[in-house]
Amino acid sequence: MWSGGGRGGGRSVVDEDEKLDRSQTRVVLIRSIKMAGEFRRTAALAMFYVVITVLCALAGPVLVRHGIDSGINAKDARVLNMTVIAYLVVVAVAYVIGRLQYVALNSAGEGFLRLLRIRVFTQMQRQSMAFFDREKAGVLVARMTADVESMSELVQWGLMQFLSSFLLLFFAFFLLLSMSWQLTLISLIVFPFLIAASVKFQRDSSRAYLEVREKVGANLSALQEGITGVRVIQAYAREDEQIRRFKESNRELFRSHLYSVKVSTWYFGLIEFAGIASSALIVGLGGFLVHRGSVSLGTVVAFVLLLATLFDPVQQLSQLYNTLQSAAASLHKLFAIIDAEPDVEESTHPTPLPSTGNLVVENITFAYAGSAKPALDNVSVTLTAGTRLALVGPTGAGKSTLAKLMARLYDPQEGSVSFGGINLRDASMEDLRGRIVVIPQEGFLFDGSVRDNLLIAKPDATEAELLAALDRLGLRERFEALPEGLNTEVRERGSRLSAGERQLVALSRAALVDPAVLVLDEATSNLDPGTEMLIEAALERLMVGRSVIVVAHRLSTVQRADKIAVVADAQIAEIGTHDELVALNGHYALLAATWNKTQPH
Amino acid sequence: MTNEAKGVTREGWRLLFATLKLQQRALIMGACVGLAWTLGKVAVPQLTKLAIDRGIEKNGSLLLWTMLILAAAVIAGVFAGWRRYIAFRESRLTETMLRERIFAQIQGLHVGYHDKAQTGQLMSRSSSDLQQVQGFVVNIPIFVSQITMVIGVVVILFFSDPILAAVSLFPLPFINISARSFSHKIHPAVMAVQQEQAQLANIVEESVSGIRVVKGFGAEAVQQGKLNIEADDIRRESMRAARIRSRFLPAIDLLPSLGLVAVLGLGGHRVINGDMSLGGLVAFNTYLTMLIWPMRNIGMTVAFAQRAASALLRVNEILSEVPAIADAVEPRKLPQAGLAQPVGAVSFDNVVFGYDIGHADITVLNGLSLTIAPGESVAIVGATGSGKSTITRLLLRFYDPQSGSITLDGVDLRDLTLSDLRRAVGVVFEDTLLFNDTVSANIAFAKPEINQEIVIRAAKLAGAHEFIMQLPQQYDTVLGERGFSLSGGQRQRIAIARAIVADSRVLVLDDATSAVDPTKEHEIRDALATVMRGRTTLVIAHRPATIELADRAVLLDNGVIAAVGTHHELLATNEKYREVLAAWSSPQVVE
Ligand SMILES: Nc1ncnc2c1ncn2[C@@H]1O[C@H](COP(=O)(O)OP(=O)(O)OP(=O)(O)O)[C@@H](O)[C@H]1O
Ligand SMILES: Nc1ncnc2c1ncn2[C@@H]1O[C@H](COP(=O)(O)OP(=O)(O)OP(=O)(O)O)[C@@H](O)[C@H]1O
Ligand SMILES: [Mg+2]
Ligand SMILES: [Mg+2]
Repeated sequence: MWSGGGRGGGRSVVDEDEKLDRSQTRVVLIRSIKMAGEFRRTAALAMFYVVITVLCALAGPVLVRHGIDSGINAKDARVLNMTVIAYLVVVAVAYVIGRLQYVALNSAGEGFLRLLRIRVFTQMQRQSMAFFDREKAGVLVARMTADVESMSELVQWGLMQFLSSFLLLFFAFFLLLSMSWQLTLISLIVFPFLIAASVKFQRDSSRAYLEVREKVGANLSALQEGITGVRVIQAYAREDEQIRRFKESNRELFRSHLYSVKVSTWYFGLIEFAGIASSALIVGLGGFLVHRGSVSLGTVVAFVLLLATLFDPVQQLSQLYNTLQSAAASLHKLFAIIDAEPDVEESTHPTPLPSTGNLVVENITFAYAGSAKPALDNVSVTLTAGTRLALVGPTGAGKSTLAKLMARLYDPQEGSVSFGGINLRDASMEDLRGRIVVIPQEGFLFDGSVRDNLLIAKPDATEAELLAALDRLGLRERFEALPEGLNTEVRERGSRLSAGERQLVALSRAALVDPAVLVLDEATSNLDPGTEMLIEAALERLMVGRSVIVVAHRLSTVQRADKIAVVADAQIAEIGTHDELVALNGHYALLAATWNKTQPH
Repeated sequence: MTNEAKGVTREGWRLLFATLKLQQRALIMGACVGLAWTLGKVAVPQLTKLAIDRGIEKNGSLLLWTMLILAAAVIAGVFAGWRRYIAFRESRLTETMLRERIFAQIQGLHVGYHDKAQTGQLMSRSSSDLQQVQGFVVNIPIFVSQITMVIGVVVILFFSDPILAAVSLFPLPFINISARSFSHKIHPAVMAVQQEQAQLANIVEESVSGIRVVKGFGAEAVQQGKLNIEADDIRRESMRAARIRSRFLPAIDLLPSLGLVAVLGLGGHRVINGDMSLGGLVAFNTYLTMLIWPMRNIGMTVAFAQRAASALLRVNEILSEVPAIADAVEPRKLPQAGLAQPVGAVSFDNVVFGYDIGHADITVLNGLSLTIAPGESVAIVGATGSGKSTITRLLLRFYDPQSGSITLDGVDLRDLTLSDLRRAVGVVFEDTLLFNDTVSANIAFAKPEINQEIVIRAAKLAGAHEFIMQLPQQYDTVLGERGFSLSGGQRQRIAIARAIVADSRVLVLDDATSAVDPTKEHEIRDALATVMRGRTTLVIAHRPATIELADRAVLLDNGVIAAVGTHHELLATNEKYREVLAAWSSPQVVE
């Protein structure tokens, strides 16, 4: 309640492993404590404060008892006054320590979460492409958001609440015992029922919670699909059907909420009942004991007062237990990312790469994880410095795969790729990305201006450099003609631009970098051929003296290459110049014939 | 607060009451149940007092008092549970109903609205804003019972001992005030944290979705830099919130203790002097503790109500948006196809259109006129960004032209119902969006009830059947973000199958085969020719072979149709046409 509302399960993605067993929980706990490192002292201090506040909370009823027994009943006004002053001091101490406790606990907790966010993201980005093939984008985003945030509630107040509830119960028990063992036994009468009820509630509610989480996730993705897909939905006049489906998922969510309330209804009623019932027992049985003279009236009063404060903690513990459990599950998943060793690993003692050189692919064999058939099977090819190599071949032959391996987005299972005589495995990633740049098949635009999107390629480029690069491509006027020029916001995924314009932005990034090898994976499919040709020609001029690998589907592009490699069935079937390959009368000749049929050259 | 702001707030309250009115009866029921709980709860300290004074001190019957307290316990327990149930049920119901309304509204809003709205914004309207409303509604029954409880308890205290009551109750209003002020201060801080969290989520989302670009350019450090800034921001804002909590919460927790101290001190002396019974003192104490939580909660509920009102205002911004593109008041029907009357005539007459981007002078189409006969197929050729896709969007009536008109079979699009129009026009968009559903469901999107054979036939025509059979569960494979990811070419083929199933009188193919490789495109082209036969078709394409499928080609340039003819005529006669298609005699011309 004090949290002011979290993200409310925002982007939660439902996971199979919501629960950890005991040993896993212990491992997670130890890991977190180790990782907390620099915050350990602040955290320890915070714990100390928590203990003091709990002691202060317990001191209240004890002082009241003392005041009643030694002050009021003994008709000793001085003792009563002293008790009142002591109580005031306790309140003042509790206030000061309470403030310190919030700040200390939060600064340790938030520091920890910050570290966690940064570590997880760093590690995520270090992973190879294979990792991103495997993991769904939504799940990775959920790790960095819902999973981390599920802990922030704990950090803000949950952990403190949990600890103080726990300590309160613990100390209170001994306190009660020290005042009167008979009355303690009496007040414990309701506890077995309460604990049994709490266990059942805890179990039911965690099931209900999982169900709600799953339904919230489903509902949110239905919502999101309804928003992002609205154009298609309207185009096919499917609004009513979509609304009907959404209602269904929404009603299901409602039902799961209702179920979770039902699960808790009897429990909260029972807690309310037990709280009052136990004071009834204390008054009844305790009164009997007072009559017998075995306990004092003040003790009975103190018990009544203390018990009233004990039922909240019980209730809170059973609720927080769920939160703690799901936080542990989240941490477990986050640690799994931190621990994942990237399969394309950076060398610890990198050899510097020369500024130019031949790119040599030697006998590489590569299969994507999970597929038995290799995507490339014992492939060798050499790209001589400053030349142009075109990769052609049917869909799924392995062209893009070869291009990706040449830039070490994956490591081959066998064989090697080297640049200027240095195996790419021995080079540093920084060197490597400076020398070999890939323009991927799908040009992804980030939310931001056209300029922001260009600068992804070279964040420190000056305005002059940027404009000069666009000039060289002959695209400066085109972009400046947009309503706000380079500052035009492209919106989510570039939706504000036409399909071709999006590709132009993605392509222009290439002009900003100055690599030794440029890999272009058919980045021009949505352009009109006129623009495409202009750009390609410009890029070609730009890349004079540099090596270019182009995955192409058009004859015109292919013809201008120094060498053409036909990739078929995971292998390089033919390699040579256009004329040589046509003369060979094999795959390429056939392909060229189809092209000639479909293109008026 | 300015007058305008006051007006807005009043509007928010009005909305809140209107919303609650729908659930009036259940909420009143909840309040009544809450009152019953109050009775049970308030009786307890009185009974305890009597038990101590008459039962313990005066050696009276303990059993009677114990049973009475137990009876009060049963009442309080039963009604507490019941109240909770009603409160949650009703608040979830409010949330659920509002969310349905928002979704329905979103589905009906024009594309121009969606161009400007951000997905994240719309999402948070229907999730976190509704939670604010829910958070208030759930408090209503408790609020009512707590208010009555506070009143009841205060009255009892003043009757039993006015002076002691005045002194011990003194700190309580401060709890209420602090709770309110806390709630006001913490809200913006929490919102700021959420804002930062959303920004971080955005960076992660883009880095992951655009990982190929990030890795291709080695831009990991750039993204890491952005993320670190957000992580720092989150920490800073969270600490700000923590400091606000630290300023208020311990004080709110401890203020009531001052009342307890006063009772012990003052009351203690009274008991010593014989002016008050010990039971009375205990009862006083218990009553005071009973007031702590309600006082806090009342303060916070007031703040919750304000928050709910402003959340509803934001929600209402969506709900009150009038769709700019809507059904005609008196819609006309499209003529039915008959033997003597082929359908599918499309005509653009002097159409002027520009997107709403705050530059009224920038138009995409400048008086475009184009007439397509029933059953005819036309290829639209134009440079990148010339407005080809815009024509498609206008034909679907995603936007209305600024001037000029578009007709389908002689009826102005604005005189048709949207669903009639859109059922008559089937489109394959240039960027294919598939839904998180099975392959079959995606293909049968336009006609969910259609049988499997037709789905398979469409998939075969679109050249998709082959690879679908290779998928893990063939036609039952789930696609989309959470499902199986297909290559660009494969997605396009599914989208083509989807349009084939729609079987509309006008078919629009917007660059529908751009990601399909040439050898495969060859096969699809034959299939498309079958589908296009006798059906009005607009083809947007860059590849000559695809353009040749159409009876006629038109060149779009400067927002008007610059030339019309067959592909070969245009190649022969039009310089611009050749330029767009790069159909120079030799590619070296450009160098
Ligand atoms: N990330 C991946 N995970 C698993 N398999 C993959 C992945 N990417 C590609 N494949 C498979 O590897 C093979 C080679 O794919 P690749 O993308 O290299 O083909 P391509 O020659 O570039 O085809 P296209 O012309 O369609 O782009 C195909 O069978 C493809 O299905
Ligand atoms: N939603 C939009 N808001 C504002 N401007 C837009 C929007 N969509 C397109 N535009 C602009 O309108 C012009 C025409 O866009 P359109 O998408 O119709 O081009 P196109 O001919 O289909 O191009 P392409 O061949 O690249 O797909 C472009 O300059 C584009 O930037
Ligand atoms: Mg490829
Ligand atoms: Mg377009």
